[in-house]
Amino acid sequence: MSEKPLVKINHLKKYYPVRKKFTELFNKETTFVRAVDDINLEIRKGEILGLAGESGSGKTTTGEIIVRLQDKSDGEIIFDGHPFDADTREDRLHFRKEIQMIFQDPYETLNPRFNVFETIAEPLRIHGLKDKKEIYRKVVQALDIAELKPPEHFLYSFPHELSGGQRQRVAIARGIVLEPKFLVADEPVSMLDVSIRADILNLLRRLRDEMGLTMLYVSHDLSTIKYLCDRIAVMYLGKIVEEGPVDVVLEHPQHPYTKVLLAAVPVADPDHQKQRILIDDEVPDQINLPDGCRFIPRCPFVTDQCSTCTHELFEYAPDQFSACIFADQDQVLNPDRIIEDA
Amino acid sequence: MAFLDVTDLEITYTVGGGGLKAVDGVSFQLEEGQSLGVVGESGCGKTTIAKGMMQLLPKNGRISAGSIRLKDRELVGLSKDAVRRVRLKEIAMISQSAMNALNPVYTIGDQLIEGILTHTNFSKKEAYERAVQVFSLVGLEEKRLRSYPHQMSGGMKQRAVIAMALSLKPALIIADEPTTALDVVVQDRILQRILKIQKEINSSMIFITHDISVVGEICDSIMVMYGGKVLEHSSTEQFFHTPFHPYSLGLQNAFPSITEMTEQLISIPGSPPNLIDPPQGCRFRDRCPFAQPICAKEAPELREVAPGHRVACHFTEKVDEFRVLAKKNETWESVRNRLIQELHERGGQLHV
Repeated sequence: MSEKPLVKINHLKKYYPVRKKFTELFNKETTFVRAVDDINLEIRKGEILGLAGESGSGKTTTGEIIVRLQDKSDGEIIFDGHPFDADTREDRLHFRKEIQMIFQDPYETLNPRFNVFETIAEPLRIHGLKDKKEIYRKVVQALDIAELKPPEHFLYSFPHELSGGQRQRVAIARGIVLEPKFLVADEPVSMLDVSIRADILNLLRRLRDEMGLTMLYVSHDLSTIKYLCDRIAVMYLGKIVEEGPVDVVLEHPQHPYTKVLLAAVPVADPDHQKQRILIDDEVPDQINLPDGCRFIPRCPFVTDQCSTCTHELFEYAPDQFSACIFADQDQVLNPDRIIEDA
Repeated sequence: MAFLDVTDLEITYTVGGGGLKAVDGVSFQLEEGQSLGVVGESGCGKTTIAKGMMQLLPKNGRISAGSIRLKDRELVGLSKDAVRRVRLKEIAMISQSAMNALNPVYTIGDQLIEGILTHTNFSKKEAYERAVQVFSLVGLEEKRLRSYPHQMSGGMKQRAVIAMALSLKPALIIADEPTTALDVVVQDRILQRILKIQKEINSSMIFITHDISVVGEICDSIMVMYGGKVLEHSSTEQFFHTPFHPYSLGLQNAFPSITEMTEQLISIPGSPPNLIDPPQGCRFRDRCPFAQPICAKEAPELREVAPGHRVACHFTEKVDEFRVLAKKNETWESVRNRLIQELHERGGQLHV
């Protein structure tokens, strides 16, 4: 695995303006939801980076900005050494060829009027391939890689004839048919049945191992991230709070939010004694954020010093970063924050 | 006599002139205060059981055979009125899309109190007090009773629905995937709340999910369903320590674990059987790496292999060998290759 970043994100921001109330019409200040607020991220060639967090943490927004389904408010994205800011159609076309996306819901992302062949051939045609034999060959090859076997059997099926897992494979085949360098996968298994989930995760792994595909895997499910990813970045309310190799971060999390997320994952083993950390499950106000650390209102380890936190990522060990000012120190549960509910 | 006793339950849907047995001869018992997790893939009949017990089956569905006895009272064949009296009071359901189950034009309090008044002789004041009480159980403030559904977040609505389901301290709670599609943190809190309240009012619970790790965390026993039949039923410990059925072995391979490093997830190749024309013999044999000729001829009966542990497989005595083989990728890969081969043979004829 080479160490050179394929995608580098510098100070990326995405602010959504909030509609004013009538009484605020003459108020000149606009308020914003800071969905992604100044994040830096590197995704190295040939690795899968897991982006974890709750709803509203900005993880999906980040993924969509990278594929340019949304425009950023500020910051820069460098792809393969070149800043990507181009606004001409050709540039965008080139960029989209290199970066593809797989979505969460395989029931909604396939056009019901397109059969499998048309679905996968469309990106090839958009990118200028005209030779019919070549298109056919590439479609069959993509289906083969996505493990829809035998490919010929599925070519003329329509989405409604396929199961959820098969649809997600078609979506993956469509994603890889242009031979992109980078794939953004946004919760690709959360809608699928468990036995199919394992298949799709194994397929994504194989795409990395055999095709050298680099990936951003967006999910709230830490157990799939642990299985699939090399590194993990945890987001909370638009900020990255912890980042590092997946086994280290999930073994010894240094940010309270990661600890909380980890404690919430259900464990199958009935003998496993787990440390419960309960926090308020309401997603907090995204407009009026507290001073200092954004996790203050819910953090079970909160102290008086937390309002001085700037969310600066601190490298507490080589290649391991945490935004908590108490990273790498003993964090003690704040007695005021212990929720007795179970 | 068990607290809840389901015997040979069959639920049939009428589809296109024919019958589809979504639940086919299911029997199980549940004691007071215990919780049972029902797991299986989509279409295995787990939600149909829940709807059948609540008698909320769609128009084309009916209980075609069997009995459901709750506290020695037969529920199958009750009149509509009698069923209405049982619902909420005796059996309450927390459904999957609970958040969308609320009426948008009434306040949460109105909807909650309406249910309490219908089933009890409470005065309005008493009903209100009960509402406040159950709201505090799920961690909602009293003022939230005056909120409309749109004023609350998804998690709060889910809690309100749980409060509603538990307002009359039902003897049996049926929770049908109450946390699927929720974030882990929210899921964890909701599970803990349901568990706590279930213990407090000493209800029994049937918890339906496709996630065996959730069952491992909150249920006393587990029942694995496949194609309308029960394949394995045991205590949660037995299921995770000494699983018997090849399907259970396969399911346990397919879950990534957060506590240890999983080298390789192994999925179960193939898809569930078509219930309109169910295969003869064992319904899992198509996807089973250990299937023998007998599996195609005879459907295995659910037999007790250890106290409280029932398994429907012809080869339970070979389980030690199965457990070793099931951990290997090649074992399941051979099934996959066989299925692809079969599809290829059929596919070749379909698309020439």
